Amino acid sequence: METYIQIIANGLMLGALYACIAVGFSLVWGVLNVINMLHGSFIVLGGYLAFFAWAQLGVSPFVMLFVVAAVLFLLGFLIQYGAINRVVSKPVLLTLTLTFGLDLILYNFMNVVFEATPRRITLDLGSLGIGEVMLPYDRLLAMLLALAMTGILYWVLRSSRIGRAIVAVRMDRDAAALMGIRVNKVYAITFGISAMMAGACGALMAVVYPITTNTTGLLLGKAFTICVIGGLGSVPGALVGGLALGLIESFAGTWLGAQYAILIGSLLMLTLLMVRPTGLIGKRGYE
Amino acid sequence: MRLKHLLSALALGTLAIAAHAQNTIKIGAPLALTGSLADEAKKQQVAYAMWRDRVNAAGGINVGGTKMKVELVESDYQSNAQRAQQMAEKMISQDKVDFMTSPFGSGHTKVVAGVAERYGVPVVAPSASSESVFDQGYKYLFGTLAPNGGLVQTMAKLFIQQMPNVKTVAILGREDVFPKSMAVSMQEAAKAAGLTIVHDELYPVGNLDFSASMSKIKAAKPDWIYVTGYDKDLILARKQMADLGVTAPIVTMVTGPAYPEFINNLGKLADNVSSVTWWHQATPYTADDVFGSTKAFHDEYVSRAKAEPDYVGASSAAALVALQKAIEKAGTLDKAKVRDALAALDITTFYGPIKFGANGMNAGRELPVIQVQGGKVVLLYPEAIKQADLKPFN
Repeated sequence: METYIQIIANGLMLGALYACIAVGFSLVWGVLNVINMLHGSFIVLGGYLAFFAWAQLGVSPFVMLFVVAAVLFLLGFLIQYGAINRVVSKPVLLTLTLTFGLDLILYNFMNVVFEATPRRITLDLGSLGIGEVMLPYDRLLAMLLALAMTGILYWVLRSSRIGRAIVAVRMDRDAAALMGIRVNKVYAITFGISAMMAGACGALMAVVYPITTNTTGLLLGKAFTICVIGGLGSVPGALVGGLALGLIESFAGTWLGAQYAILIGSLLMLTLLMVRPTGLIGKRGYE
Repeated sequence: MRLKHLLSALALGTLAIAAHAQNTIKIGAPLALTGSLADEAKKQQVAYAMWRDRVNAAGGINVGGTKMKVELVESDYQSNAQRAQQMAEKMISQDKVDFMTSPFGSGHTKVVAGVAERYGVPVVAPSASSESVFDQGYKYLFGTLAPNGGLVQTMAKLFIQQMPNVKTVAILGREDVFPKSMAVSMQEAAKAAGLTIVHDELYPVGNLDFSASMSKIKAAKPDWIYVTGYDKDLILARKQMADLGVTAPIVTMVTGPAYPEFINNLGKLADNVSSVTWWHQATPYTADDVFGSTKAFHDEYVSRAKAEPDYVGASSAAALVALQKAIEKAGTLDKAKVRDALAALDITTFYGPIKFGANGMNAGRELPVIQVQGGKVVLLYPEAIKQADLKPFN
């Protein structure tokens, strides 16, 4: 019995990390219809900022998380405002190519400045042991962050002025513009929020994972899979997709072996694409 | 870039007649300066430059009485196997390199060696240790690392001798050329040593989580946990072992502690993790090569790279030292003759003895077994220079 509880716990905690990775990616994809290839690099950049603040200035990553979030928001805002906005209404292939190019720049910039050496914040918080079941505190924190980010985003989109504007732009860009919404600004803010979430997630991940530029593609791939599984166009989609993928990988990893865990996740993604392209809880549009 | 190529093509054209009056030795070095292997390639680059500068400062390599300077033709193949192949083609056919080194890792070495073999260009590989690279019948490929099998056997023998109560082993390997080969070597070594394998699993490249594997290993209660992979995997694996309370009398991570970043990224968690490696600065050699001694190499590397060297750097410099010795012995730049000189080489370098076997791999002698103790890497073997005995992990 305890083995099963541990498998579920492992899955949920991995899933929470996955949700963290995917929330911002889902937002940009859902609202801007942009597949943001920069997302993985944003997470890694957040991780680096947190690492260096901790290693050189002794700033706790849990404080730095907020600073990183602010910095990444600004970076995301500027990238969208200065570059992506120019092509955002063009076909998706064009925005994909642009973010791909920007990602190459950011990735190689990080490779030159930080080098690919793995770096981890060696704050080991230990684990909460309930009987034989172990719950690592840092992953519990990641879970909390994922829930908080999803919750806040949900609330912002439903109840705040800017949130309603984001939803309006998503529904009908032209009508929103006619209603006096500054579409470009809304896009930039949305992209900023997404980058902010990636940064916060990266800061936390630096405690759990060794940060290296090598993982950018991997994280991006995960974000993509999670969004397809969970469904675009709904805030809880990334959370559900992340948790689902975490649980699947945990069970598949235990029963079939680690080699098959990723395979099963990808199979699920493909199956969903065929059977239910909106994902587990996706909707058309974004709200 | 294109202009440069055009110019070099023009220059080559005009110099074609004077080709025999060559006065530098060109060595092609495909390096993964960007992409996933960037970190390892930078270590290679530092070591190559150290060797080149020392050789050129001494006037060059003595080729049959004439001192010839060395030029490294470096090129970034972006950690991409296909590009590595193109680079090798270009270096040989356009840059007209005389000799080559190979990139980091067994996989990419195989690619480059395949190209060089076709053109008959000798390749010295500094960081390929899987037999599957050297069993292709290539005549022009030589590697400075010892085969994986020997590495693991030495370690298994030593550990069982020091901890006779160890009866069971759990093996977790990365599904990738070198780490997989090390996992298979462990299966064989375990059987030979009479250990029972209680868990045997491979994990895929790009794995982001070890909790399922570690939970299973925990349930199997092995005496020895043996994990293979690259630094990023091993750091994560060790971290998740701690998170899930997985432990055993012996924990080995190949080749984790051989990399300085393993300890930097784990802090206390790195303690008592053991490994085996091809080279460690604690194994001192003196030699009549350009470095003179292990210490001289170590000190210059530290001052250049601002980091401790690991086997990648040392083996990279050693590969070029071996090439230099072979050229000097052959007394010519003739590729076939230098190849024969490499095959017959039997020297001691700052890195240790180099003598290539029939398949081109360096015969490993006295390979260091290491363990992290109190935040530092200590040598458990070879017996004559060991600094400590194996400490129980838990």
